[in-house]
Amino acid sequence: MSKVVEISPTTRHEGHTKLVLKVNDEGIIERGDWLSITPVRGIEKLAVGKTMHQAPKISSRVCGICPVAHTLAGIEAMEGSIGCEIPDDAYLLRIILQCANKLHSIALHNILSLPDMYLPGTDIHINPFSKEEPVRSVALRIQRLREIGQTIGEIAGGEPIHPSNPRIGGMYKNISPRAKSKIYDLAKEGSELARAHMDFMISVFKDWDNRSTASVASSYEVEKNDKFGFHDQGYMAVDPLYASTNLDADPKWFPERWTEVRPWDWYMGQQDITLDDPNYPNKATTPAGAKAWPQMEACTAVPLYDGAPVEVGPRARLAIFRNYDRKGAMGLQIARQMEYPDCLYAMMDAVDALNTSGPVVADEIPQGDGSLGWAANEAPRGTDVHLAKVKDGRVQWYSLLVPTTWNFPTVSRALEGAPWQLAEVIVRAYDPCVSCATHMMVVDEEKKVVAQKLVQ
Amino acid sequence: MVLGNYKTAVCARAADADILKCSQDGGVVTELFTYALENGVIDGAIVAGPGDAPFKPEPIVATTKAELLAARGTRYTISPNMSLIKEATRSYGLDKVGIVGTPCQMQALRKAQLYPIGMRKVPDKIALAIGIFCMENFPYQGLEAIVEDHCNTKMESAVKMDIGKGKFTVYTERGAVTQIPLGATHKYEQPGCHVCLDYVANMADVSTGSVGTPDGWSTVFVRTKKGEDVWSKAVAAGYFETKDIASVKPGLDLVTKLATGKIDRNKKTLEERAKMGVGKGLRNPYI
Ligand SMILES: Cc1cc2nc3c(=O)[nH]c(=O)nc-3n(C[C@H](O)[C@H](O)[C@H](O)COP(=O)(O)OP(=O)(O)OC[C@H]3O[C@@H](n4cnc5c(N)ncnc54)[C@H](O)[C@@H]3O)c2cc1C
Ligand code: SF4
Ligand SMILES: [Fe+2]
Repeated sequence: MSKVVEISPTTRHEGHTKLVLKVNDEGIIERGDWLSITPVRGIEKLAVGKTMHQAPKISSRVCGICPVAHTLAGIEAMEGSIGCEIPDDAYLLRIILQCANKLHSIALHNILSLPDMYLPGTDIHINPFSKEEPVRSVALRIQRLREIGQTIGEIAGGEPIHPSNPRIGGMYKNISPRAKSKIYDLAKEGSELARAHMDFMISVFKDWDNRSTASVASSYEVEKNDKFGFHDQGYMAVDPLYASTNLDADPKWFPERWTEVRPWDWYMGQQDITLDDPNYPNKATTPAGAKAWPQMEACTAVPLYDGAPVEVGPRARLAIFRNYDRKGAMGLQIARQMEYPDCLYAMMDAVDALNTSGPVVADEIPQGDGSLGWAANEAPRGTDVHLAKVKDGRVQWYSLLVPTTWNFPTVSRALEGAPWQLAEVIVRAYDPCVSCATHMMVVDEEKKVVAQKLVQ
Repeated sequence: MVLGNYKTAVCARAADADILKCSQDGGVVTELFTYALENGVIDGAIVAGPGDAPFKPEPIVATTKAELLAARGTRYTISPNMSLIKEATRSYGLDKVGIVGTPCQMQALRKAQLYPIGMRKVPDKIALAIGIFCMENFPYQGLEAIVEDHCNTKMESAVKMDIGKGKFTVYTERGAVTQIPLGATHKYEQPGCHVCLDYVANMADVSTGSVGTPDGWSTVFVRTKKGEDVWSKAVAAGYFETKDIASVKPGLDLVTKLATGKIDRNKKTLEERAKMGVGKGLRNPYI
């Protein structure tokens, strides 16, 4: 007889989600539903009627972790709709900004992941806040990498979090020669730190993979399964680092291959919760006897590519562009660490190529005729697709298909076969960012989903 | 207290003849920034650079002595130097920012440091704030009217303007000097200046102005620890000639008199405004 256990809320990631898991007598997940319970933001509706300049600034506020991806994807979707090409130096500044944000984001995620991991060769979980070595040096290195990312973002983008410098047609300002060398020096410092740090993190994740038992943070040890966090879904990525838009000579994303399913049709129906565990960390399991209703509670639509869920993010990029093939939750974690040096080298290349006296705003900015534009930005957590239609400078239609939305159904598959007590380790491997993943739907008085946002 | 808190008051002028040549008074602002720049106290300063019309300043981030020199001299119209305070730490890449400004700009600066809303990572990068004395300021059109209509001088031919001893004076390249009584300029003042209760930039690290010391010299108040540190080092390094303020004419008494006059007059305006309107008065910006 299978039992149902609910972990709510899940922790150490952005936003609010929960896990509803059907498990067998051994506690192995037979079906897992991972769903967003973050309230809908309504950004897509708010944007309608706003100027094309305003909408991406609003949409970037959907999240404080990948605001750069949202700003750039939003702006480039608008530029895609109006058909505006930007000057080379503006493009270089955007690349620097993209890498700066990714650097900070990977480092931040290290802190969220480490408490599940062990000091290699020991049974001691890593507490990133511990004052003891070697952890203290690792934590300081993480903070310095974040600081480097944010400082570079602040110089190239105007702000460390929500960048003010990007605009339709390029960037508001180029940077000074002094700022250029400051970025280079910071990136150089970061590249040394990142290499050492990447080696450390990879050894930690490999060590975890080689263990026969594991626990979530302070919880009890359970036996792991062989193919921990494996799934058979495909990958989606448009660029090793930056983006693709409909203006590219050879676009790498195809709107016609994207479809959406209502959560009502995707997630489990109402379930009686029959299993709980007071020893689970944070007492996060819901007491048995309560009910869960995933198809009703999920706040995201389910996007599919070629009719199936896909994985997006670091591993998808490495798999598609570099033949990376390590599967499972740790395979994804390791792929993420491998992006550290890429970020820093790409940043140094871009800043090297930057002409600080070159123009950064297009001479002419068309106002748009309502054509569909899209931009797929390779955000830290995966492909962030924004689609827009702009007419006479105003947004007519705007849609956000953000990274974690793509990963929700894929993660649900990856949960199968794992002991339920370790489900959060799988979720965390995806570095979920949930607040931006929440979409618009229409609900009637009986609380049934009656209308899905009209696509196209 | 009309002169604010200060550690020392001194009469000074720049030792560098080049700086003195085109500066307004004793060249204190330009010389002190030069010292700070050359000795790593700041890595750039926000000053009133040349704009697109004569005597119309445009704030710039100066990172060389040449840029500081190009920004010498008083322009009696608004130069929104604070508008660059954040950008200086962003696309300009400065870590130690210097800024010069009128008393109201010094207030804005300190307010931004105290409540850094929209000013993330800015407060700790302010390295040297130099305040200049200020009785009033004019919108650009007002200044044009004063110079062109009252002084009968084209803006293009003016090389220096000065307020002092109850007169507004315009100097031209050809050596012509036109003077009008200051009273004639009052109607062009910014209304905001009539509720301003600070004459000598109480919030600056170092404040300076012409009043109180002989022509070509400046009155200097060294106010903060930071200000004292740079000032004493710059003096020790020979950047300034100084005189005891008590030994010069007209001295601090005149500064005090003018400051008191400004504050009393503007307090009165505040009181009048509080009674203006129906039912509710105009707000006092100080409370
Ligand atoms: C509007 C105004 C009113 C003034 N009123 C008085 C007064 O009543 N009594 C008095 O003693 N002194 C007054 N001053 C100050 C005086 O005119 C000189 O600026 C001051 O003595 C500095 O001279 P200096 O030779 O040391 O500076 P300099 O070496 O000539 O440098 C002056 C610096 O001030 C900057 N600057 C010029 N114009 C402006 C502006 N509008 N806003 C901000 N920064 C500017 C310049 O860029 C430069 O960096 C006033 C100045 C202004 C701008
Ligand atoms: S009088 Fe006061 S408000 Fe007016 S410019 Fe001077 S300092 Fe600013
Ligand atoms: Fe996000």
